[in-house]
Amino acid sequence: MAAELTVDIRKRFDGGPEIAAALRLPLAGPAVMVLFGPSGAGKTTVLRAIAGLETPDSGAVRCGDEVWFDGTRGFNLPPQKRRVGYLAQDYAVFPHLTVARNVAYANRNLEVHGWLARFGLSELAGRYPRQLSRGQLQKVALARALAAQPRLVLLDEPLSALDAPTRTRLRTDLRELLAGLQVPAIVVTHDRTEALALGDSIAVMIDGMLRQAGSVEAVFDHPADADVADAVGVETVCPAQVVARGEGLLTLDIAGARLVAVDIAELRHPNVFVCIRAESVTLEQAAGANPTSARNHLPARIVSVIPEGPLARVTLDCGFPLTAVVTRRSGEELHLREGERVVAVVKATSIRVVPRG
Amino acid sequence: MDWQAIWLSLRLSFWTTVILLAVGMPAAYWLTFSRRRWKFLVEAVVALPLVLPPTVLGFYILLAIGPHSPVGKVYAAVTGGMLPFSFQGLLVASVLYSLPFAVQPFAAGFLAVDRKLIEASWCLGVSRRATFFRVIVPLSVPAIVTGMILSFAHTLGEFGVVLMVGGNLAGLTRTVSIAIYDDVEALNYGTALETSLVLLGVSFVVLAATYGLRRRVWPVWPPS
Repeated sequence: MAAELTVDIRKRFDGGPEIAAALRLPLAGPAVMVLFGPSGAGKTTVLRAIAGLETPDSGAVRCGDEVWFDGTRGFNLPPQKRRVGYLAQDYAVFPHLTVARNVAYANRNLEVHGWLARFGLSELAGRYPRQLSRGQLQKVALARALAAQPRLVLLDEPLSALDAPTRTRLRTDLRELLAGLQVPAIVVTHDRTEALALGDSIAVMIDGMLRQAGSVEAVFDHPADADVADAVGVETVCPAQVVARGEGLLTLDIAGARLVAVDIAELRHPNVFVCIRAESVTLEQAAGANPTSARNHLPARIVSVIPEGPLARVTLDCGFPLTAVVTRRSGEELHLREGERVVAVVKATSIRVVPRG
Repeated sequence: MDWQAIWLSLRLSFWTTVILLAVGMPAAYWLTFSRRRWKFLVEAVVALPLVLPPTVLGFYILLAIGPHSPVGKVYAAVTGGMLPFSFQGLLVASVLYSLPFAVQPFAAGFLAVDRKLIEASWCLGVSRRATFFRVIVPLSVPAIVTGMILSFAHTLGEFGVVLMVGGNLAGLTRTVSIAIYDDVEALNYGTALETSLVLLGVSFVVLAATYGLRRRVWPVWPPS
């Protein structure tokens, strides 16, 4: 059996809800698990318990064959002995040390210049943290954590302290960096785009409870219950490939189907996630019935029609699964029934593309 | 002017400050980071010299280090001497008397260090002790300097405790404040005035340095 990190803990803070989480993460090679959920769901507590900074009330944390925490014996391995790279939300770069000395903090034998160059920090070696941007601080913190040769990297809301344009740019950088590591990472975030862009797998926490864990596609497309669906949002999320790029548009291939979407600046690799809100999908009886400005007309088969009050949720198969929400009346006028064929119309501007690196 | 007394006071203040640095830093660390429920009792004990009359404190110290006390007996067995009415006895009393003036600024400084920085150091595999010297102390330098200066100045001006524990032996336990008292008793107002001026000057310089230091923008890190 491959080594893995297993966490099964409970913790209650005075006046707060009980936090309970059970998750497993294989320790072989780079794999990013996103711990996703709204603010206050207990994600940070779980991350801190894995780092050894928080003592759970009960449960166990194991890393491979090492016991890190055992509630029954009251044993909690100190953070110094866990070899975990922990990145706090505000990066916690030592303000009294230069970039070079921050990075070499844990590892005095580090070949600092080579290491700084790997992270694009060579120019900043002699600077103090207060002279750096938040994006640069994040790189310093990452470089410092990785210099200690951790077995596991933990990142708490790594992008939330940044302004929106920087966040978009660094998201792609971070994904590349994490994918290039020799160790797995757990990333805490409350941002759906971040979860999609960074995660190989995702664990959803709501109100202190870990509710669902699985691959990103599985959790986004098949939420376990209404709360998880609410947290991850009601979008179609599909892996796709960019096959052409030009004139500000992207042509995407999703399981054989072609989609046109608006180009995004931060795209560097053909692998992306495509997100389409059910509300943005229009249904027609036949292609080209009416001239429209929408770029995408997808022949589809209706898989199911589920009434939701005045609306109906229509699940389609256009080579990939797609969900549309229409009013009940439209549904009746179009005779939407299981097995019928329709055309799904989606504007290029309604398709959100999240790069995967 | 009583240069001998001034020299003695400066020596006493210097050694008191050195000892308080060594004793006060671990004490302040414990007070800052311990989660013991009875921590408040220790905090109260450390702060006692702030409110007790120096004569009361001096009286207790005199009893505690006297030749018939356990401390006095051990000291006599090891050194063959006595603590009361000696420079060493005075040093013990001064350390206790100025303890809050060192520990409280130290603890305030340690507490102001961002907890995340300390945790970052731990997660990087650096021990608690090394984290203390590599992160907490460098970031508390202004507070530590403040505590040292206050200890020095407070010891320089002590009177009641010295009188109770050290008496008035020239070159041995006669500090500046006692010398001034002696001069006034003997109606040597001129000498008393000169010695007082020296004490006033030194105290002002020391305190001005403390406050100036607090205001100074440290070039290395932002005053958060």
